[in-house]
Amino acid sequence: MARGVAPGIRRASALALAPDLCLREREPALEGTALAEIADWAGAFTSTLSIDPPDTLLLELRASLRLFGGMENLCERLQQGLDALGFNARLAVAPTPLAARWLARLAPGSRIDTPCQLAAALDPLPFSVLADSPADIHDSLDLLAGIGLRQLAEVRRLPRSGLARRKGGAVLDLLDRAYGVRADPRPWHIPPERYQARLPLPVPSTQIDTLLFGLRRLLAGLSGWLDARQAGLEALSLVLEYERNQHHGEARIEIIPGSLSRDMARFQMLAREHLSRHVLPAAVDALRLEADAPRAIAPPRHDLFEGDDGRQGDPDLLLATLRARLGPRAVACLAPCPDHRPERAWRWHDPQVPEPSGTHAGEPQSQPRPLWLLPVPRPIAAPHPDRLLAGPERIESGWWDGEEVRRDYFVARRHDHSLVWIFQERQPPHGWFLHGHFG
Amino acid sequence: MAGQASSAPLRLEELVWRGDRLAAPASPGRPTGFAALDAVLPGGGWPVGALTELLLPHAGVGELSLLLPLLTRIPAGRWGVCIAPPALPYAPALAGAGVPLGRLLVVRAESAAHARWACRQALDSRSCEAIILWLADADMAALRRLQLAAEESATPVILIRPETCAGQPSPAVLRLALAARPGGLQIRLLKRRGPLLAAPVDLDLPWGAPGARPDQPRASQDASTPSPSSVTALHALVRPRPARSGPAGLHAGTR
Repeated sequence: MARGVAPGIRRASALALAPDLCLREREPALEGTALAEIADWAGAFTSTLSIDPPDTLLLELRASLRLFGGMENLCERLQQGLDALGFNARLAVAPTPLAARWLARLAPGSRIDTPCQLAAALDPLPFSVLADSPADIHDSLDLLAGIGLRQLAEVRRLPRSGLARRKGGAVLDLLDRAYGVRADPRPWHIPPERYQARLPLPVPSTQIDTLLFGLRRLLAGLSGWLDARQAGLEALSLVLEYERNQHHGEARIEIIPGSLSRDMARFQMLAREHLSRHVLPAAVDALRLEADAPRAIAPPRHDLFEGDDGRQGDPDLLLATLRARLGPRAVACLAPCPDHRPERAWRWHDPQVPEPSGTHAGEPQSQPRPLWLLPVPRPIAAPHPDRLLAGPERIESGWWDGEEVRRDYFVARRHDHSLVWIFQERQPPHGWFLHGHFG
Repeated sequence: MAGQASSAPLRLEELVWRGDRLAAPASPGRPTGFAALDAVLPGGGWPVGALTELLLPHAGVGELSLLLPLLTRIPAGRWGVCIAPPALPYAPALAGAGVPLGRLLVVRAESAAHARWACRQALDSRSCEAIILWLADADMAALRRLQLAAEESATPVILIRPETCAGQPSPAVLRLALAARPGGLQIRLLKRRGPLLAAPVDLDLPWGAPGARPDQPRASQDASTPSPSSVTALHALVRPRPARSGPAGLHAGTR
């Protein structure tokens, strides 16, 4: 810009002014995707919004004013949210959609609240804004320019019947809709059932902080989508797209918050744990966020006195955090299992799955059982008979599944007076094994 | 006026901790379930918001039995966390003792660093009733960080370490050396906020099965609970080992 490159100049002139200029082709498809993404996000502010291609999003805000504390507050929050998403936007408020669009283009920042101010705001606009519409009215605009008109006000002063006769019907139609003389219904944007957003990184990166920064932008969009549906997620997929030429394809990271959640800080924190465990085989080119199956969630309660005592934590969050870093199998509960063989009398149990009732009632054992079990019995020398304090307890089971157990279990005393659980094999060579500690 | 004068020495008594008495921590400890042990611990139980160190000659001397009363009191909606246990805590025996297994998380960690990280997360989450961490090697800085994290919470943190660590300095407020004895457990208090306790505390551990513990001494012996003031005279008799077990003596009254 400082060297004189300005919108509208030709490519050759721009390159002559700034030879190191990096030129990019405009990609209408990407623009459409971005617009849809913003629309999903803006659902948090109003449920009635409409995409006006190629570059405009229309929000009907009258019903939301009170919730967000007035027009100024609402516009400020919109602007902040768009900054967080990484978009530059120009806002204008007007009673009709077409007027809002024209004002956003030519007089951003306009806040026209009442219909009586509308005409005064629109009249000075150059009538070339009329060209900013899908209708084919270039002939009429040439005609209007030919008779020396410049402003919308001057077009409105022309006799309607005469203009209509001279192929100006489309122009009149646009004006009527902009000034609120005729209704201007729009198709409402319906947010998709399945959320998907993609963020190409400006430079392929292996830095986790860079990825997390990009993720924050994606999560900001997701937050709006969830707010619009008043829903939370039980799982979220983060897809890392690696650089094309590295043949690594992409990696998918499942982020599971532990309970239904729309707390983006929580997702961000869990993603940090996942990424710190994840080995990046190549530089990441783009991030993609995918979520489906949102479920309705009660909105966060705001305490009247802001009495946020963090005494009681969130047990599910702890579980999710530990699992994100250590792996889902590293954190589990224990549960007893009805089997006579000691190594089969227990199993791992997912704490989030409700326990089957009955088996775990705290009934006392009829026979002594150690508090520690060795995963694999350790061979020991035959103990002195004086050291065997209780037993034998014979356990013979499992001949039907190939892991037969035929053992005589004893409680034995070690040299240092601690008690251990040992057994002797019933079949030759009648070896002795240490199987547990009564710790 | 007279009332003020009489209450002033009382308040002074509360404010000043004298080295020959047990400290009274701000929040009382969690009862250990063993009256003989509660009597000699400052706060009357496991200290909350602080590290407690149990030093063992080897796993299985009775440390889980000692902690069972703590584990049986985990309420619904909160966790008890066992981090990096050296063997498998055996579910049928725990269930038989009344531990709510659905509220007891067992965390298997690949390294000591992961174990310490998990412990800090558990402390930060404020959703844990008790945390038991098996940690063989840790330097002072790592333990200090754990102690600081524990101070922010109201959770007892039980650190189980090998006996060889007894000589190393530790920020734990309570250090107990455990050893098995016939019928139960012998506990030496290496460090506490109070006077040095020379005589060990003997506990009879409960036995999960019907009948008495098989190695229970036949003659009924009362667990000797020496009161803090009377033990010093017995010192040489009760404890044949060198009384000054290094850092325990040095740290006994520092805080």
